[in-house]
Amino acid sequence: MTIEDNVTGESERERDRVLGIETSCDETAAAVVARGTDVLSSVVSSQVDLHARFGGVVPELASRAHVDLLTPVVAEALVTAGVEGPDVAAVAATTGPGLIGALLVGVAHAKALALVWGVPFVGVNHLEGHLYAAFLEEPDLELPAVVLLVSGGHTMLILMEGHGRYRLLGQTIDDAAGEAFDKVARFLGLGYPGGPAIDQLSMEGDGDAIAFPRGMRDDAYDFSFSGIKTSVITYVRKHPDVDIADVAASFQEAVVDVLVTKARRAAQDTGAKAICLAGGVAANSLLRERTLDACIEDGLRGYLPSRAMCTDNAAMIASAGWWRLNSDGPTSLAAGANPNLRLPVS
Amino acid sequence: MIVLGIETSTDQVGCAIGGVEGMLASFHAARGRRHAETLVPAIEFVCKSVDIELREISVVAVDIGPGLFTGLRVGIATAKSMAQGLRVPVIGLSSLDLLAHQVRWSGRLIVPVIDAKRGEVFWSFYRHVPGGVQRLTEPKVCTADELSNEIAARGEECLAVGDGALRYRDILSDDLVEFGGQGVAYPSATDLVELAHPRAVREEFVMARELEPLYLRKADAEINWSTRSSA
Ligand SMILES: [Zn+2]
Repeated sequence: MTIEDNVTGESERERDRVLGIETSCDETAAAVVARGTDVLSSVVSSQVDLHARFGGVVPELASRAHVDLLTPVVAEALVTAGVEGPDVAAVAATTGPGLIGALLVGVAHAKALALVWGVPFVGVNHLEGHLYAAFLEEPDLELPAVVLLVSGGHTMLILMEGHGRYRLLGQTIDDAAGEAFDKVARFLGLGYPGGPAIDQLSMEGDGDAIAFPRGMRDDAYDFSFSGIKTSVITYVRKHPDVDIADVAASFQEAVVDVLVTKARRAAQDTGAKAICLAGGVAANSLLRERTLDACIEDGLRGYLPSRAMCTDNAAMIASAGWWRLNSDGPTSLAAGANPNLRLPVS
Repeated sequence: MIVLGIETSTDQVGCAIGGVEGMLASFHAARGRRHAETLVPAIEFVCKSVDIELREISVVAVDIGPGLFTGLRVGIATAKSMAQGLRVPVIGLSSLDLLAHQVRWSGRLIVPVIDAKRGEVFWSFYRHVPGGVQRLTEPKVCTADELSNEIAARGEECLAVGDGALRYRDILSDDLVEFGGQGVAYPSATDLVELAHPRAVREEFVMARELEPLYLRKADAEINWSTRSSA
């Protein structure tokens, strides 16, 4: 089959499907999303096992794995969605923030596909992608919404006022929430990644057993998680016989308490209609439960994307790419990647 | 049969297009913007300048290394992606083969040397044979001092080429060693197309997903890990 065969017959139909590519860290992902909301396919090839023995992501290994995995992952995303490459509206890829070598693999791949298919390339901000994960399952999401973006690299409280219109309300002044989970899990000998390990073990422990400090809980919207990490370490050293499950549960309780308290306060202060969770830590069971409780109590809508859409994936990149294509048009094929890219906030 | 060549293993980024009629167009840049930014617009430019439609490309050839990891991956990811999008196969060639090919008429032992940064070089030994060069040893990575010893141990007149040879000229200098100039310091995309074309005709190619980079050096974490494990 040649490319020409595919193009004919498709020209009448509206092009609304975007191929998204995500390689900013340790997930190699590709997805096809229609109109920014309908996920036709979402393939994620996780490299967790590859990095586990090093206790964290090794950039060079991540980049190497992306080169090996991306071609089959993209092929699977297209086949599952039943889409021929040249029929997509655009190819979107994460251009930052993330690991530079890893980002470049996805950007190079996406730009080359856009060139051979003769369709636009769209560079997407990874953080904006996380914000759009909510739209994949709630196309009628009510705005303005407060988004709590919590991952291994970020902890941000954002007011989403409209498509592409964000206000940064607060962020962490030291560790990201996910980073605190990873560090505490490593200290407790629970392995990597730390989030799921602590989530699991906490089910068997008492969250009220130890009163760990709630860093900056009563300050406006900024976060601090380095203090609680230190408290956990000091506590366990002082009480070597403590039940580790209680430590995990109490640590999780303290972190979630701070996150939910602030998201709630932000929603009240800004008059937001909803609270959304985004980012890998949004897969945490207690955080999801407490967020929903708070929303019910405060009469807010609570949007909790499925765990698969909270962690890094390409469907969220395709979604954000669709909106960016419509608002800003295509990105130049001379674009590169930016490891320190920031969310465009006002 | 039209072959597109992509070359990003060193500080130079290049692409070329050619076929039975020989080389049609090429582009090379050794400084300025990053490979990832330059490459795709350059491919577009090279094809447009000789009225070649991308879908006329039958094979994508790419330098698989050894070379600088980040740049190398940009070229390989681009090649795999173009091949995937066009549904054509790929041909991977070694950067050292390409460097040696540039000076293939020399009667001396040919030593392509690529700067691997951090005081190391990628290299191998080649010899002229009718129609091209023949590689005599496996590609290796080591310090410039170690390479100097290897050359001395060989004890024959040689021609060292490549950015690594120029950078470590002082260390490699010896009565037996002659150096290639700036003109042959980097592998070239035109040589890539020239060498890949007959292979493409003989259908000596692979599918995009089968193409693997030739890194020669493990990731740092793996090196540290194996040191720690064996300690
Ligand atoms: Zn993320």
